[in-house]
Order: sequence, then C-alpha cells, then structure tokens
Amino acid sequence: MDWLRRVAPYLFITPYALAFTCFIILPFFVAFGLAFVKLELTSQQPAAFVGFDNFREALGDPYFRKSLWVTVYFVVLAVPTTVALAMALAVGMQAMTQRWARNTVRAMLFVPGMLNVAVAAILWQWFFNGEFGLFNHLLESLGLPRLPWISSRALAMPSIVFMTLWWTVGGSAILLLAGLQQIPGELWEAASLDGAGAWKRFTQISLPMVRPVLLFVLVINTIGAFQVFGQTYLMTRGGPELATRSVVQYIYETAFNNYRLGYGAAMSWLLFMLIAAFSLVQFFVLRKVDA
Amino acid sequence: MGAKAALVLMAMLSLGLYTAREWDGTLGTSDERVIHLNFWNGFTGPDGRTMLEIIRQFNESHPGIEVTMQRMEWAIYYNKLMVAGIDDRAPEVFVIHASTLPRFARAGFIAGIDELFEGSPPRLPLDDFEAELMRQLRYDGQTIGVPMDIHPQGLYLNAALLREAGLVDTKGQARPPVTYDEFMAAVHAMHDDPDGDGRADQWGFSWSMWRHNFQSLMPQFGGRYFNDDGTSALDCPENVAALAFMVSLREGELLVPPPENNLGWVGFRQKKVAMVFDGVYMLGDLKRLEGLEYVAAPMPQIGPNPGTHGDAHVMCLQEDLDDDTRAAALEFMAFVSDHGLNWADAGQVPARRSARESEAFKSMQVQSAFAEQLPYVLFPPRSPAVFELQQQLDFAVEKALRGRATPEEALREARENFETFVRNAGLPMLADSEAPS
Amino acid sequence: MKRLKRHLPDAIMAFTALSFVLPLVVMLLTSFKPEAEVLNPESVVPDDWTTSNYQHVLGWSEEAPFVRWLLNSLFISTTVTLLVMLFSAMAAYAITRLRLPGTKAFLGLVVATMMLPAQLFLVPVYLILSQLRLLDTPWALIIPATAGGFGVFLMCQFMRAVPRTIEEAALIDGCSKLGVFLHVNLPLCAPALATLGVFTFIGSWNDFVGPLIFLDSIRNYTLPVGIALYQSSYVTEYGLTLATSVLATAPLIVVFMVFQRQIIESMATSGMKG
Repeated sequence: MDWLRRVAPYLFITPYALAFTCFIILPFFVAFGLAFVKLELTSQQPAAFVGFDNFREALGDPYFRKSLWVTVYFVVLAVPTTVALAMALAVGMQAMTQRWARNTVRAMLFVPGMLNVAVAAILWQWFFNGEFGLFNHLLESLGLPRLPWISSRALAMPSIVFMTLWWTVGGSAILLLAGLQQIPGELWEAASLDGAGAWKRFTQISLPMVRPVLLFVLVINTIGAFQVFGQTYLMTRGGPELATRSVVQYIYETAFNNYRLGYGAAMSWLLFMLIAAFSLVQFFVLRKVDA
Repeated sequence: MGAKAALVLMAMLSLGLYTAREWDGTLGTSDERVIHLNFWNGFTGPDGRTMLEIIRQFNESHPGIEVTMQRMEWAIYYNKLMVAGIDDRAPEVFVIHASTLPRFARAGFIAGIDELFEGSPPRLPLDDFEAELMRQLRYDGQTIGVPMDIHPQGLYLNAALLREAGLVDTKGQARPPVTYDEFMAAVHAMHDDPDGDGRADQWGFSWSMWRHNFQSLMPQFGGRYFNDDGTSALDCPENVAALAFMVSLREGELLVPPPENNLGWVGFRQKKVAMVFDGVYMLGDLKRLEGLEYVAAPMPQIGPNPGTHGDAHVMCLQEDLDDDTRAAALEFMAFVSDHGLNWADAGQVPARRSARESEAFKSMQVQSAFAEQLPYVLFPPRSPAVFELQQQLDFAVEKALRGRATPEEALREARENFETFVRNAGLPMLADSEAPS
Repeated sequence: MKRLKRHLPDAIMAFTALSFVLPLVVMLLTSFKPEAEVLNPESVVPDDWTTSNYQHVLGWSEEAPFVRWLLNSLFISTTVTLLVMLFSAMAAYAITRLRLPGTKAFLGLVVATMMLPAQLFLVPVYLILSQLRLLDTPWALIIPATAGGFGVFLMCQFMRAVPRTIEEAALIDGCSKLGVFLHVNLPLCAPALATLGVFTFIGSWNDFVGPLIFLDSIRNYTLPVGIALYQSSYVTEYGLTLATSVLATAPLIVVFMVFQRQIIESMATSGMKG
C-alpha cells in the first residue's frame, strides 16, 4: 500500500501529461528539429541539416519583418481594447439591477464568439465591402462619407480589430464578470460607508480583487493576438499590400503553400520568443503590483 | 447541478452518442468484393454537385467499384493532399490544376497513365485532347494526368445594361464589345452617375480577380512568364504594357471603382457593374441568381493579339496501387473524361474536342463563348515555383493598381523577389524536362 | 432622477447587447433570402422569404449527411469537453496541491507551449495520428484536443483560490487524496470547470481545419465543416453557407441558453477568490 501512496499523486497528472507528451511535446521536438534543416516537402531530397541558416534567412527577410510589425500592431490595437472593453462590459453588467436582464445581456455578448470564423469572416467581408457593402450603404443613407474599411492600408487593420472585438470580447467579459462577482459584499458596504465614489470603488476594490482573472484574460488575449490568423486571412488574405498579413499567416503560407517546413518552423520559434518575452513582462508587471 | 453529476452525465452522453454512431455505421457496411476508390478534389460549391452526379452514374454502371468523393476549398485541399501524399495516404484518384502539377510531380506520388492512350483502339483518343495541354502534362517521358476541362477567363456582361445603353445588334440583342475601341466605348456608355455627385452609381467595368485579369491581358500584349533561356521574364516590356493598360483605366476619370480585389464580381451580382473578366467556372454562381440577365463573350481584344489566361483541372492517379485497383481507377478517370459534357454543364469547357463540337455544347452559351478562345489560351508555365510566382504577381498587380508603384517598378520588384524566393527554396525555375539544353 | 440614474447601466448594457447581436440577426435574415438578393445592402430584410437554402442543405444527404454530422459533432465535442475538464482538473490538483517535484516547471512548460502557433503542429500531429492509426476516426479530433494548455492554466488559477483549510479538515477526517479531490476540490471549482467546459465545447465544435485534414470520409465530418462545402476560393454560395452556419450555431446557442444559469450563475456563489 505504501507504493500506491507514493504513486497516487502522479496518477492525477498522468492522463494530461500523456496527452501533452504525445501531442504537444513530441510535435514540439519535431518542430524544433525542423528549424535547423532545409526541407521542402515536394522534393524527394532528404532533409539536410543547415544549422542556423533558416534563422539567418528569417532575420534578413523583409516579408518576415513586415509581418512581425503587422502582428505587433494588431496586438497593440487589439489587446488593450479587448481587455478594457471586456472590463467595462463586466462592470456594466455587474451594475445592472435585474438579474434576468444581466443573464440575457451576458448571453447576447457571448453569442458572436460561437460563430465559426469562416462565417464571421464572410459576413464582415460583405459589411466592410467598399462599394457594395452594408456599412457604407448605411453611412451613405445617413449622409456620411463612405469609408474604405478593409481596402485601404490605413483602415484595414483597425477594421479587423473592430470585427475581432465584436467576435471575442464576450468571453473575456464573462470571465471578468465572474471575477467581479466573487468579491465579498462586505467590501462594497464598507466602501459605501466611507463615502467612496464609483471610480474609487472600481480602482480600490474591483481592480485589485479581480487581478488573477485579469492576468489570465490578459495573457490569453495576448497569446491569441500574437497568433492572429483566421480573420485576417479570410477577410483580406493579408492585404491590402500585406498591411494585414500576420506572422502566422506568413508561416502558414511558407509551410503549406510553398511547402518550406524548415523555414516556417524557424519563423515560428522567433515568434515564440517574442510572445514569451511579452508574457513574461505581463506576469512580472502584474506580480509587482501584487506585492 | 454539481460538478460530479455533470461529469457523470456527460460521460453517459458521450457513451450514448458513441453507440449511436457505431450503430449507424454498421447500417452502411459495403460489400467486401467491391473495390473502393477515394476521389479527392477542390470542387466545393456547384461544381461539386455536378461531380457527385457523375460519380453516382459511375457507381450505378460499375457494380464492382465504389467511388467516394472528398472535396474542400483548394488551398486547404492542396495542403492536405501534400501531407497525405508524403505519408503514403494519397487517395487513388485526385484532381490537380495543370498549373500546380509541376510542383506536385516532384513529390513522386503521381503515376504515369500512358496505357489509357495506348492500344487499339485506345481507351482515350489522344488526338481528341489539345496538344498544347497534353505537352504540359508530360513528366519524365510519361503522361501523368487526364485533363477534365480547360477553364479560360472571358467576358461576362449584364445584357439588360447593355441594351439600356444601346449596345445592341441589328436584332436588338446585347452586343458584346470585340475591339479595344468598342470595349472603351462600352465602359463609358454604361458608366452612370444619375445623381451627379461625381461618384458613379453604376460602372461599365470593374476588375475582378486582379492577377487573373492581368494574366489574361499578358498574351494580348505578347507577354510571357519565362524567356526562352529559362530566365524569368516577369518584367518584360510586353507584361509592363499589359499592366499599364490595367492602371490606365483608373487614371483620370473614375471609370472603374476604387481598387479592391474581387470587387467586380460582387458588383456584377448586384447589377451595378456591367462587365467583368472572370473564369468560366463562375457560371455556377450566376445560374443561381434569378433576375440577372447575363451573357458571355470572348475577352475583347485590348492589345495587338487576341489572348486570355486559362488553366485546366487534371485527374491524377496514385502510384503504388495493386493491379485491380489501378485498373478500376483508370476506368473511373476515363469515365469522367467521357462525360465531359455533363462536367461542362457546371461551368467548364470540356478538354475533349469531340465534346466541344457536339450540338449540346454549342447550345451552352457561356461555355461555348469561352471555348472560342482555346486557340490562343496562355497556360501557366511549367514551373515548380508556381505558388511563389502567383504570389509575386498578386503583389505587383495590387501595387500598380493602387498607384503605389509604376507597372515597370512593380513587375521588376516581382521578378527580383521571385528569383530570391526560388533560390532560397532551392526550387528549379522550370520543370527539369523543359530545362534549356 | 435618482431612479433614472440607477437604471442607466441597464439601458446602456441593453443597447450594447443588442448591437452585438445585430450581425447575427443579419445572418439569420440573409439565410432566408434567394441567392440573387443575398448581397443586396438595400434590403436587409428579405423581400421575398424563402426556405430554399435550408431545403437544399437539409435535403441532399449524399452531399451533406446532416443528421450524421450532428451526431459526430455532438459525440466529439461532448467527449473532448468531458476529457478536458477531467484531465485539467486532475492535473491542476496535482500541480497546485500535491507538492510533486517539478510541477511548477511543468506548468511553465504547458503555458509556454501555448505560445507556439498551432499551424506548426499540423504536420507532426498528422504523422503521429497516422502511426497510431487514428486518422479518419473521431479520435483524431478528440485526443489531440485534450493536450491543450488552456484548461490546465485556467484550472490552476482557480484551484489556487480554494482555501486549504477546507481540504486539511477533510484530510484530518480521514479522507484519501482522491476523496479530497472528488468531494472538496471538484465541487468548489465547479464554476471554473463549467466555464472551461463552455469554452472547450465551443472550440471543439467550431474546429474547422482539423476535421478537413485529419478525416477522409464525408460521413465522419462535423457540422461546421459543412460550411466548407459551399465556399470555394472564387465562389461563395452565400445563402447555403449562412443557412448551414445557422444550423451549426443554433445547437450551441440553445445549449448555452438552457444551461447558462447553471453554468455561469454558480460562479457567483463560490469559486474564484482574488
């Protein structure tokens, strides 16, 4: 029985660890190895070890650099707006007086996220269409000028961020609302007795108390934003003039359209390092506030 | 509901659904003696329904063989085919564009099928196919595909708008423009701004898929992809002239709407664009639009020569099949080829002359109008680097149309980038068999 | 005045929520239009209503065996959700409570791997599934989905918040580790688990590339993949695509609406403490 006692704790982690090993770690090593070989799927040549050549090529590749900037631009636009809007929606829902109304609103905010990316994209592609789209038709009938939503280099990315907000903010808002609702009622009462205003209650009670959830929402959104692909690929194919071609799209095209697996893997590792650096900073900053 | 109860409930649900699936699965068990063929392609949408019908006919007339089809959007399809191919899981029969065949031919899982064209009489008569296309399908001394169709680009017109603008023949029917002058006159005539706000509410013409539009104009100006010595010719003066024409429609008067890729087709559907250049395969979409009166015509001759871009769907056979399966697969490919007219109905020009010369085909207005262009279709080059080439052309045409580079600069950049890409990827520019001797 | 101010959030939130649903209403309305009307911005509400899109999608089982797909989708998503909830809760319990060596590093590794783009794993996972002879079975979609890091990360964040005193009391009462997990941690984490369940179910349901690459038989497809049949690089059959989408999304919305009280409301009463 003693050995069982010693083994038992490991049994809890075994199922996940097994799946993780087979379908993350193993492919992970394959992907790691790929970055150091020249492998073009269509040729029957075996993979050749080329050292850091793929990384060197990536660092000198203007398309890769361009796609990195595009991705960082998306992250900088999308993550703060998503988290801030999610927070505002969560606070707004918390302030609602009717419970049934709050439930309904929460569900309605969450519903766009249930839509398949392929459908969300074709719907919004039509909304955004410059000449024959819904948005410009509405703008025009209100006497406002038309906008080149996804057809101008300046507006394309903000338009995609706008669509992404609609599509994804509900999930984050639900998590944050759950966090807010955990805060014990006594804290609010005490604050009211002190005569604290709404803003003060938000900064001094809501924000600190909800921090673990906020950290989770922030990290998940950042990781997701760095890997943006589906909505940009389907709505603009990365255009106009590559203004919305993200790193993941470039990796995808390199690995699967041009069949250069090794080079795609090397770029994935560079992206990975960038995301890791960002996430570490977030952990660090939010931990620090904690202390 | 407690967490445990929920988990138990879900486990029961999962088990129940598993049983239901299994039970459902046993209902459709097929005969062991039957040879199963997997047929993969990118025929989503209306084409796929036509193909399903052809397969149904084949399965009915060939009791010993059962063909099942899997189809998905071309981009995902090509990824899947390549991954499956290197893992020896390629389907028995699959469709590849003639343009991408040079790339796939290198991967080594496509079999030669010359026996279909040999014997007396041969199962398929070689001289019934376009010689130019059959040359494109030869690798290492073997033919590696059966062409199903040739799908050129051409001109779609809104007949009602043409009549409104008085562009009619003696019988009062809409008359498509043929020459440069007629085309430009039509573009002007159907450009309409009734409220006079300087923004058109109806356009005579709009670009649709930019790269295809450009590739269709290239041969008209005498353009090409490669020089005779095998070097890239993307920025040859003829190509520049073709791109310059595209840009010229944007300059001065706003004859076409501001650039947005594939805008033209959406506008054509909405009856706000009178003419577009697009592929014959778009017919499937038009057929479902009630109330849109359309006709098709060959591309108007903008440059010094007639010309257009065209590609072909080619059926290929997997290597490493046992004799019975191979024979069944070849029979299926031949059957599809024999049913070219059914396939044409989906919006294709059949690959075989006998089908094109039939009365039934001549009565298909759009398809037969597009087929008139076959003598001067420019096929994509036999280059394994076809995806890289297309990508660079996409960028160049977009840049020029947006006025961010002159046609010359844009195409020169495309050639330079293409050469770099090909070098980095370690690809030959042209398929080996066509290398300069 | 005061009453007005109190209800101001209600009004604002109701308006916001409505604007979030509007695009979906457009989708629903459009799915009842004939193809010629689909992209016409001048009439968002159909001029003549038609159910032909639905009749087509549901009518031809050779092209789209809808009932079969629904069954596949339900089986796959339910199983994935069950396994992810179970595995994640167990792993999180081991990581946060059992003081195993190296668990912290393990969690770090799990979160780190989430930062690698999933597209990179497509080919290796295909080859592994091929070796395991799982391609073209529902397991090709189920098993890899249980390996993701999101669930473990989320459950760890929540599990940490469960007060240790309760577990310790249970241990003193002679409960085994398994007993503590089943009777204390799992119920206390129910809200987090429910949230994870919702996200996992939706994610699995909407997986698009996985079924296309890992499955070969149309009969094994899942519902949303049906959307792919009506879309190509050049032509999108808008009416059919949107009708399929309505049919594929409706089960999700119904499940969410029915269970949302149990699923999310429970969060308010227990669980995450900051």
